Amino acid sequence: MLRYNFKYEWLLLIRNRWIQLLSILLLLLFGFAVYNGIQKVEARQNSIEAAVTELKTQETATLSVLDSLENGHKVSVSRWRLPSRPVVIGNSLARVVNMPAKSTAFIATGQSDLFTHYVKPTVTGDDLSMSYTEMTSPVQLLFGSFDLAFVIIYLLPLLIIAFSFNVLAAERESGTLKLLASQPIRIRTWVLQKLGLRFFWLILCISVTLLLVFVIFSFDFTANWTSLLVLIGYIIVYALFWFVLAFATNIWIRSSAKNAIALIGFWVLFVLLSPSILNQLSNSLYPMPSRTLMLNQMRTLKAEATKKQDKILDSYLRDHPEYAINDSTQTRNFYHKYMATQNLVKEELRPVVEKFETQLENQHQWAHTFSWLSPALTVQNALNDLAGTSEKDYQEFRSQSLEFAQQWRDFFLPFMFNNQKFAKSDYKNLPAFAYTYKEDATHLRILGLLGISFMIMLLVFLLKPMKQKISIV
Amino acid sequence: MIRINNLTKTYGDFTALDSLCLTVKEGEIYCLLGANGAGKTTTINLLLGFIKPTLGSAYINDINVVEKPKLTKNHLAYIPENLMLYPSLSAIENLDYFSGIANKKFKKSELEAFLVEAGLQTSAFHKSVAKYSKGMRQKVGIAIALAKDAKVLLLDEPTSGLDPKASNEFGQLLQKLRQKGVATLMATHDLFRAKEVATTIGIMKDGQLKQQWSVDTLSLKELEDSYLETMSYNSLQS
Repeated sequence: MLRYNFKYEWLLLIRNRWIQLLSILLLLLFGFAVYNGIQKVEARQNSIEAAVTELKTQETATLSVLDSLENGHKVSVSRWRLPSRPVVIGNSLARVVNMPAKSTAFIATGQSDLFTHYVKPTVTGDDLSMSYTEMTSPVQLLFGSFDLAFVIIYLLPLLIIAFSFNVLAAERESGTLKLLASQPIRIRTWVLQKLGLRFFWLILCISVTLLLVFVIFSFDFTANWTSLLVLIGYIIVYALFWFVLAFATNIWIRSSAKNAIALIGFWVLFVLLSPSILNQLSNSLYPMPSRTLMLNQMRTLKAEATKKQDKILDSYLRDHPEYAINDSTQTRNFYHKYMATQNLVKEELRPVVEKFETQLENQHQWAHTFSWLSPALTVQNALNDLAGTSEKDYQEFRSQSLEFAQQWRDFFLPFMFNNQKFAKSDYKNLPAFAYTYKEDATHLRILGLLGISFMIMLLVFLLKPMKQKISIV
Repeated sequence: MIRINNLTKTYGDFTALDSLCLTVKEGEIYCLLGANGAGKTTTINLLLGFIKPTLGSAYINDINVVEKPKLTKNHLAYIPENLMLYPSLSAIENLDYFSGIANKKFKKSELEAFLVEAGLQTSAFHKSVAKYSKGMRQKVGIAIALAKDAKVLLLDEPTSGLDPKASNEFGQLLQKLRQKGVATLMATHDLFRAKEVATTIGIMKDGQLKQQWSVDTLSLKELEDSYLETMSYNSLQS
């Protein structure tokens, strides 16, 4: 039966112009989504490159001034902006700490339209001055991004529904089911084969379309073939889930119209409602403390610390005798006090910030734990991981950049407290930043979705109402 | 061979088929006559395994249709009142598909031979069946039965809506199959066609077989009178 179903299903699809229409639609959707994704990634890379270029220009100018100073030439720079002052270098030549886009970033915009891709941690800036807060247009958030992830998560199920909702009901309604059922076949197996073949053709169609689109947009296959395979793997698992749902609906419900309504209902539930419900629940269970209150607390603490700057500096120098010993001038100015205060403020702010971050982490953890309830969310997370635009990636970027910010400050602190001038020869010792993507096994989460699909399939074969004889008449 | 013993089908309080007993032997054509709702289609649906009987049993070539429905279907062919095929496929493709899923594989020339035997004009073999008349579709149905080498043929009002010529051709095809030893059970309203093709005729009413004759024992006029009488008085017994 399979051989004949395979042969004639293909003929039937081709002659119904389904494949042509689907191929054109897929090509257009995937093409536009990839183009859109690439545009976004380019914009992201351009902003990083612009910042790096600006830094280089500044570096050239600063080093030239430094060179002039070291050679005893006169320079037309105010005393406070002289590059021999470490604080000037630490602030004006702050490194562009950036998270470069992965070669697969175009797949999913993910959190990339919410968070920044580069920060410039200065020596006098605190951690909070590096903006990690969300920044995007609310209109953009409302409509989302037309990227490959959007096409796969939102539109692909609709194509699958259109492709599979009436496999059995159409036979019943057109009258061919009676002739089919009079053959020595099991209708349930016949439906399964028919849907299996449509699944196969659709995946083939998607894979070919994707390859075509990737070739058009000069995707580097040699370097990223594993990512491509993983992407196709995700699509297969997600499409399988919808086909299994379509199979259960075809077996359970009798008419095409009811099947379509039921499947659209599932789409609304799994794609639109469940992610939103999970989000709402995580907000209700772990409400975020007021950000305004947190900022107010920070300002109060900073103001209090400023009042006690002299005491704090004394205490700081007692803790760091190396700074006091090595400095022959023993000059202490605003920046010494400021830097000494920074650490104290940071320590005192820790519980306030942690309270905020713990709740955020709890929300993420909760959403992560129950993401299996929404296949759309599971696939979105998986695609974000693949694209390097997940919430986890931005947390990692934040963590790495904060670490670097501390490294940057630590580099300049001995210069500042020893009242040592910054020399041209010190330039090569400036800390450098290179972001490293952290790979983990989150891809395996998709296997949960595969498990759910098999469970639905089992229910179709084992559950009593599903096991009942398929009505032919 | 078809053997039906005490076959009964009820839907709640309504009895669609009431203790039906009949046998159709090899080379016999049994025509079931009766008004709408008499139980003719229910009988055929029970034999096809589309519905389960409440009581009784039915056998196709001595295989119980309830216990082994899939196995039974290897031995039977079915042509419903309005045989529907895949409109975007041609006759030969439809024949190949339905034979194929019934595990019968044929070469193209063999498939064409079945269609020729079923009386379909050669020029129509490769045309989409969407353009076929009902008579042409019925011929493809017969070709499917021929390809399947079915020993039992179940026909549910196959000539309704056919023009006299097509109906006559269909009758001739049934005779051909009869000569091959096929046991045919045909539900019909068409007394004239039943008299012409059948070996045995039964009249059903309210789910019961009211009368049964060998076709040689009565004329068309007698058949018509008996039919009308059965429908009117519900009193005669065979």
